[in-house]
Amino acid sequence: MSLELLLIIAFSGAFLTYLSGKISSQLRDGVAVLISLGLVAIVSFLYNVQTETVFYQGFFGISLILRMNSLAWFFAIAIVSFTALCIIYSLSYMKDCERSNYYYFMMLLINASMLTIVLAGDLVTFFVAWEIMSWSTFLLISYNRNGALQAGIKYIVLSLIGSMCMLVGILSIYTSFGTVNIADVANHLTPSSVGYKLFLLIIFSITFGIKNAIMPLHTWLPDAYAESPSPFSAVLSGMLTRMGVFGFLLIMYVIVGMKTTLHLGRGFLSFNTILCWLGAITIVIPTFIAMLQNDAKKLLAWHGIGQGGYMIVGIAFGTSLGAAGGIFHTLNHATYIVLLFLSVGAIEYSTNGLRDLNSLGGLFKKMPIAFFGGLLGISGLIGVPLTNGFVSKWLIYKTLILGNAPFLAFAALLGTWGTVLSVYKFLHNLFLGQLPEEHKEIKKAPLTMQIPIVILSFTIILFGILPGLPLKVINSIIVAAGFQALDINIWGVTSETGTLNMLNIFAAIAVFGAIFWGIFKVARKSTPVDQYDNYAAGAAVPKNKYHYTVEYYAPFYRMGKPFLKDIFDMFYNRIAEAIGSICDSVRKIYTGYVGSYVMYIVLFIASLIFVQLTWSIF
Amino acid sequence: MNIIALFVSPLIALIAGMFFLGLSRKISARIQWRYGPPIYQPVIDVIRSFSQKSITHGKFFDFGIILSLSSSFVLILFLPIGKLCALTSGGLIAFLYLMLMGPFGIALSGAAAANPNSSIGISRKFLLALAYEVPLLLVLLTVMTHYHTISLVEIVNIQANSGWAFGSWALILPGIAYLLILPAILGMRPFEVVGAAQEISSGPIAEFGGKHLAFYTLQHALHVFVGIALFVDIFLGGWTFFGLLNPLAGTVWAVIFGIIIFLLKMTLVLFIGLFVNAVYPRFRIEQAMQYLWKWPTLISFVGLIIVVLTK
Repeated sequence: MSLELLLIIAFSGAFLTYLSGKISSQLRDGVAVLISLGLVAIVSFLYNVQTETVFYQGFFGISLILRMNSLAWFFAIAIVSFTALCIIYSLSYMKDCERSNYYYFMMLLINASMLTIVLAGDLVTFFVAWEIMSWSTFLLISYNRNGALQAGIKYIVLSLIGSMCMLVGILSIYTSFGTVNIADVANHLTPSSVGYKLFLLIIFSITFGIKNAIMPLHTWLPDAYAESPSPFSAVLSGMLTRMGVFGFLLIMYVIVGMKTTLHLGRGFLSFNTILCWLGAITIVIPTFIAMLQNDAKKLLAWHGIGQGGYMIVGIAFGTSLGAAGGIFHTLNHATYIVLLFLSVGAIEYSTNGLRDLNSLGGLFKKMPIAFFGGLLGISGLIGVPLTNGFVSKWLIYKTLILGNAPFLAFAALLGTWGTVLSVYKFLHNLFLGQLPEEHKEIKKAPLTMQIPIVILSFTIILFGILPGLPLKVINSIIVAAGFQALDINIWGVTSETGTLNMLNIFAAIAVFGAIFWGIFKVARKSTPVDQYDNYAAGAAVPKNKYHYTVEYYAPFYRMGKPFLKDIFDMFYNRIAEAIGSICDSVRKIYTGYVGSYVMYIVLFIASLIFVQLTWSIF
Repeated sequence: MNIIALFVSPLIALIAGMFFLGLSRKISARIQWRYGPPIYQPVIDVIRSFSQKSITHGKFFDFGIILSLSSSFVLILFLPIGKLCALTSGGLIAFLYLMLMGPFGIALSGAAAANPNSSIGISRKFLLALAYEVPLLLVLLTVMTHYHTISLVEIVNIQANSGWAFGSWALILPGIAYLLILPAILGMRPFEVVGAAQEISSGPIAEFGGKHLAFYTLQHALHVFVGIALFVDIFLGGWTFFGLLNPLAGTVWAVIFGIIIFLLKMTLVLFIGLFVNAVYPRFRIEQAMQYLWKWPTLISFVGLIIVVLTK
């Protein structure tokens, strides 16, 4: 199966879906699911394929290339699988929405453009696909109008700044070396000066940093995640944002090369140390801001930023364990954040759009599948042992501690403990506690929404117990980038300085769990009671008022609120306001009177004459 | 050796933990000029609880407490008790994460009970945990950086050769910080904010009775054991006692006496905690957080900087 055909199917599938939507919505749903599942099948057949094809010869004399290797495959399979799950999920979620043709078209177009990004073998293809992705993302973020438009504009402005930086980088590469083929550029770049390499790294880092929402460049993300339709929030947080991680891997370890990237600068002031510290800041601050959120999706969005920090720290730290952990964390984060967004989406679906953490509760008996999705999702997000998040975080912590970076390790660990608080609040306020009376007769989420949740929950456990499955592919990625290979087993990682064996942790928990479950069964049977039959110091339990959710961590809010503000967002908003007012005053010269325009012309000519008479330039 | 540890160490931890619970009631009573219950009272309570009536708020309510108890036992397998240590996979990092699972299970179970007292208790528990984790993480990172290993067994073995960490100049500050946060880890006064019986009717366990309460008591006993044992392993050299066991090296007696020395050290540390517990009133949660983020954090931070600079 050639790579061109894959992309042709991906792009034409998107258009086909749109056209079939004009005929009937069932046909469109069928086509969309078929295309997305077909892409999963094709990409999985490409496992272990190393190939490169020129798909267009004469683009201003530049040949456009697609190439497949382990890095591209890893991201490609993740992209198509998560999109396929989200498309299946959308079948019921988007059923009664207007403009659903347009929604599916955009979803598949984004899918196709992300595929092109990871398969691109030259920077022009990369840039074009990147732009298609950015623009179609903008259209989907602002799908719900109103608040979403504002979020979309915030996103596209930052995204454009990123694209322009990348364009400058690509143009400078082309003028210096006369080629945009990634492999050739990497070869040409080896003998060039340190300053130029640093320039390229920094300018591309801005682009990818915006996409991956690294700390001062993150401001587009919370609103965008919260305002998009939930299945798209899932794709956005799971894979689209992580195109930034792919970009970082590309620029740091493919284009500039590992040996150079890790030795740019002196002592503390080197490129990768600074990137590590930005990553560490990105872990800690958003995690604590997340604790203050009352919107379920916004809470997840802030965690999306925070988890991105782990990937950056892992990748930028520049050891085998770190790089493997960073890449693995990208996959793991995608699994559980997609799952969490889908669970929130199920609640939104069942409660007609509620996602306020203060007005829900006790849904775990009404929506068991969504609840287990949410439970496993937050376990992965925390990194509870036996979930996949644990393994990747373990890899990162270990390399930070043994690599003598205890302060970075502290930031990473602290981020996890902050995460526990806010995601527990998320789970408690949505699913646990007292069920409000108005949600007693809630409608269940349909099967097409439950299937993706079940699959993702299973994946979290599977990769948690047998992390060797994905780590094998990741190992080949880091070897290709020039790192030392890790000793991977199906159950974990072996090394002299500390082995991780998930299978025996699993066995221990399973055995003890079985024993105590047995004891529990043998002991005297307990009486099931209703939620209103509980302890209230002898008083009757007041209905609808016996639930502790608002200001769940009240003492912390009182202490932390003055400090936990998004200062960068305020700063950018102030810049935007200043530019707005400057443009407003410039606009005043258009008075609408012919007389004033004549005056401008006369003044302009007079100044020209004055210049000519004084300095005789012309 | 590992196979034996697999069966023996949970038993030791359970018996010692229950003994500590009984001991702490007795000691507190004596400090307050009361006679106090017999030391084996918690054991009687647990056995009796199993045969008593209890209520359940559904499958998940049961699941949480079972998860909590079983993961606490798994945690014991990772802990070097004397020279016994059944599992080493993942080292101290995995240990830290497994420490999280016990409270997490209780939190799930308590919240499934739909009682606001439980919810308030859990929210306090997590805040307190966040407050003491900051200094605790700094302390553990300092130790791991200083000994350049992530393995608990390794940390104990290094101390056997080069003396207790608490006695070395580099690690004395982290040791002091750990002692300062120990009452918070154990949930003793002045940090008894989570199960404050007079305010929120025992917090997370408000709805527990019968076998649920019995499971909780066992989990609590293990939790107390782990909190103290971690201190003994990291700072007081685990089973080592100034070369006392050197003549016995390699024999079974070394293992047995190692465990006894380990438990004696633990009892000593527990006594210090109990003296504080008996005389202090309870902090408010803000006061607890402010305290924990002030002195212990400062001390452990300075300790980490010293270790990094002298590396």
